Amino acid sequence: MRLTRRSFIQASAATGGALLAGCAAGKPATNAMDKAAATAKPKGEDAGKWIANTCQGCTTWCPIEIFVQNGRAVKVRGNQLSKANSGYVCPRGHLILQQIYDPDRIKTPMKRTNPQKGRNIDPKFVPISWDEAMDTVADQIIELRKNNESHKFLLMRGRYSDQNGILYGNIPKMIGSPNNISHSSICAEVEKMGAYYTEGYFGYRDYDLDNMKYLIVWACDPISSNRQVPNAIRKLNKILENGTVAAIDPRMSNTAAKAHEWMPITPATDGAVAIAMAHHILVNGLWSKEFCGDFNDGRNRFIKGQTVSENDFNEKNTNGLVKWWNIALKDADPSWAAKEAGVEQAQIERIATGFAKAAPNCGVWYGPNMQPRGTYAVMAMHALNGLVGATDSVGGVITGMGAPSSGYPKIDAHQDEISKKGSKNTKIDQRGYLNMPALKGGKSGGGVVANNVANAILANDPYDIKVAIGYFNNFNFSGTEGQRWDKAMAKVPFFAHIVPMFSEMTYFADIVLPSTLHHSEQWSSVRSKANLHGHVSIQQPVIDRMFDVHAPETEIVWMLAEKLALKGFPNILNWLKDFKDPETGKAPTNAAEFGLYAVKIRTHKAWDPALNKDYKGDRPSGWKEFVEKGIVNSPKYEFGKKWKDGFSKTVTKKFEFYSETLKKALEGHAEKHKTTVDNVLTVTNYEARGELAFVPHYETPKRHGSRSAYPFDLIDMKSRHNREGRSANTTWSYTFKSCDPGDVNEQDVIQINPADARRLGINEGDMVKVTSVLSSLKVRARLWEGVRPGCAAKCFGQGHHAMGRVAAKDFANAVPRGANFNEIMPDDYDRLSGSTARNGGFTGVRIEKA
Amino acid sequence: MAKYGMVIDLHKCTGCGACGLGCKTENNTDDRADGQTYNWADYHHSATGTFPNVNYQTLPVLCNHCTDAPCVSACPVTPKAMHKNAKGMTIHNEERCIGCRACQSACPYSSMDIERDNAQYSVISFNDFGKVIHAAYQDNTEIIKGCTTSGAEIAKKGGATPPHATKYDHPDYNSVRGDGVVEKCILCDHRIENGMQPYCTDVCPSTARIAGDLDNPNSDAAKLLKQYGGRRLKNNKGEFLAANEKGVGPNVYYIRNYSMRK
Repeated sequence: MRLTRRSFIQASAATGGALLAGCAAGKPATNAMDKAAATAKPKGEDAGKWIANTCQGCTTWCPIEIFVQNGRAVKVRGNQLSKANSGYVCPRGHLILQQIYDPDRIKTPMKRTNPQKGRNIDPKFVPISWDEAMDTVADQIIELRKNNESHKFLLMRGRYSDQNGILYGNIPKMIGSPNNISHSSICAEVEKMGAYYTEGYFGYRDYDLDNMKYLIVWACDPISSNRQVPNAIRKLNKILENGTVAAIDPRMSNTAAKAHEWMPITPATDGAVAIAMAHHILVNGLWSKEFCGDFNDGRNRFIKGQTVSENDFNEKNTNGLVKWWNIALKDADPSWAAKEAGVEQAQIERIATGFAKAAPNCGVWYGPNMQPRGTYAVMAMHALNGLVGATDSVGGVITGMGAPSSGYPKIDAHQDEISKKGSKNTKIDQRGYLNMPALKGGKSGGGVVANNVANAILANDPYDIKVAIGYFNNFNFSGTEGQRWDKAMAKVPFFAHIVPMFSEMTYFADIVLPSTLHHSEQWSSVRSKANLHGHVSIQQPVIDRMFDVHAPETEIVWMLAEKLALKGFPNILNWLKDFKDPETGKAPTNAAEFGLYAVKIRTHKAWDPALNKDYKGDRPSGWKEFVEKGIVNSPKYEFGKKWKDGFSKTVTKKFEFYSETLKKALEGHAEKHKTTVDNVLTVTNYEARGELAFVPHYETPKRHGSRSAYPFDLIDMKSRHNREGRSANTTWSYTFKSCDPGDVNEQDVIQINPADARRLGINEGDMVKVTSVLSSLKVRARLWEGVRPGCAAKCFGQGHHAMGRVAAKDFANAVPRGANFNEIMPDDYDRLSGSTARNGGFTGVRIEKA
Repeated sequence: MAKYGMVIDLHKCTGCGACGLGCKTENNTDDRADGQTYNWADYHHSATGTFPNVNYQTLPVLCNHCTDAPCVSACPVTPKAMHKNAKGMTIHNEERCIGCRACQSACPYSSMDIERDNAQYSVISFNDFGKVIHAAYQDNTEIIKGCTTSGAEIAKKGGATPPHATKYDHPDYNSVRGDGVVEKCILCDHRIENGMQPYCTDVCPSTARIAGDLDNPNSDAAKLLKQYGGRRLKNNKGEFLAANEKGVGPNVYYIRNYSMRK
């Protein structure tokens, strides 16, 4: 029998001093058996310091503080001075610690020794010096430039800081390539189309939650994601208590679980419900007369099925309300939408009425809507914010505040002929092609089409890519139909990956450059907004670097520039030397100095008393105080300016229900390709023809796979503990997985309604085979009432065969833990925005017992 | 005598997981293994009804710091390892613990093995005799030899095991526990004694957790209880005590409802 602790203590006590010698390390300094010590006040926490930083675990970009004890990062909280999060982080913030101390971090540059590239092919990486690594990358770039094919250089950006203007913004240009490709449209660009093609704002919205009385959360889950998580968590309860919250989503999200109303619509029927709400609001006379205007004689002519004369209506801050009614709304009543969406008519009417009656203290908070025809759905959702006058109103939906930033030195004087000529080439992602309008900013080809780069590379269209650099991206995992990326990256002759962890994409790297972590090991800055305030927030080293790792957007650029200079291309280094310390005027002499000065320059306006003296937000007394506080908050948003001054970015300067702005963009795109708008809509898979194309309207769901062969609509959900795809190797993200309603701790599951499961003979915990038109994956079944029958919800984030020993089931043999459903989601787009389709049940699946 | 406990406002709670994760960072608890959670703050989730009339509830759970704590009664050593302190909190003295697990067995909110018992959580967890504590940080293997680090290496470079351990001192318990002992929520007595809130309370983004002396009518916790009335858990299956039931005198109260839907 083993010696118990008590018997051990008893035995030890008999021999006096032997006790302490026998104790395990880390025992309390005071012996608990000692009476005096037992009553003494505990000393508590060891001394430490909270150091300001910024979390980029989701798109909130939260100002935070990290508690450091004896050089170790041990705790995380919100920056106590932040107005965006009131001093709190969401659960993701805490996972930072396991990321910093991840047992599988890359600690040295590596080079590939196996020339063969493929998903499961061991690259046989060996450690090399930074010198050799940068030398190799520089050689590749010099060679491209020498051969007059500098445009075949590709830079891919994943998560970035406000210093991205250096590596992403200008390095490809300096080299002579147009190809700076952001990840943006892989996860969320559709939603920006909603506010852009109604009120001319291509960005994420902010909300006056303190004064809101009716909140419609539509196809998103603000208390778990979507750009101001701690603030939403803090304030949702007030709206629940003093007003009404309705959640529209085919699965019971966290918000839906708490809300007064959960309307679980059929995927991708959002547009039908949105325009039916508009119809209901209009026929009942509940629109905002102050914002939209009214009939000349005050008599409501919005009657179901009846065309209205534009002359009868005196419109104020909006454009084309009557046109919208006539083109898309007059027949779209809640009874029709209820059938289309599979929900109750009364619920649509109840929500529409409640929302409009609370106006303007109300808002539709809509999410990514990455559906193949998502643009028109989000336009319809945002149009509701205009219809009731919630936009730009107290208690409503606002565009939000910015934060101060200063520009970097210009590259112009340093650009050579190769740079000027090469960077004018067509971009690799086929943006602006006839079938890919990507109308960001109202311009054909204005936005990035990140996921299409793989197709372009494989087709050599517009040309081939010879040298690629990627940082903090993992498109092979995060892009739908990632198999294309496996093929494309195997084809690219040279790829350097700047990452902290060995990801799926790293499998294809020739050179791996180990990165610092933005939240704890490097100098950078970030701008974001929430809760009516914008902010600029610092990222600074809180611990000593444990390995020889460098900051991707600054230090590594300097190291590369030095190498290029040695090889006869000094232009980039010369440009970087223009980055003089705003305090001393000193030019940088090494990577570390450059990294610091770049941040000081970018944030200069925020911290220099000479520049911020008239600023109405926070005004630190200098760089030192800015770093210490870590944040500059903007002043509070001023409501009503757009009502007064107009919407400066739309064609009509009004809030557009009839979007002249979209009409101009579509006509511009059609003209470029010498065709008609109708033909553009045909080749981009939209249903609208004629005038319908210019108003928010309903497009039926586009779906891959017939209903008979693939009866389930796949819902791609997100985890509230997912740190932008980079927390899969942390054990803490699995231990509380059931905080995603319906999911199971430590597991990866697909949620199926019990009624469907019974029909298919599937029991709780069974392994099931899920098949789409692309391929099949096996995953555990979870029977869950919180998902609409006919739908199956699967959370993104697991299914890694790389990343590390926690993320992968068997890293050495590339066996995934769980299933990455991007592998069964076909490569498709909302082509008007260039966004990757991943929502709206666009993937039909068949589910059978494995 | 004071009676420290907690009031959890389910109306405010969004089930986000920050309290559970924050506790792990404060108290340096280990990863799940062998039916033990080591999650001092954890969750019980439940859904009732059928689509679309589903009522979902998150119950954040922790040690109930019971007035008639069965874990204390069951503790066989003298003086007891599991004991009540002057503030009414149930405190575990690691030094005196013999790892007999009588407390874990006696506690209505604990399971000896959550997998075997199909339980969602257990207040008390056990570090088996000979268990390697934070084994992940004592592992020397590198997934890419010479290129990636190992748990042991990063712990060494970080300077502790686990490297993110929050170090604190308390006469009864250590900031990282050893093998052959049980462990559970001690309501962050090392913080309360120094004028701070338990860490799970501090990090709750919706301020849904209010710790305090329930016997002091002026405490925020007591005021909330008076305003809303509270209910207490009966076991670790998410069942509540009836209004007239005393149970083991748990001192964690739940006020209001998680969902607005009935």
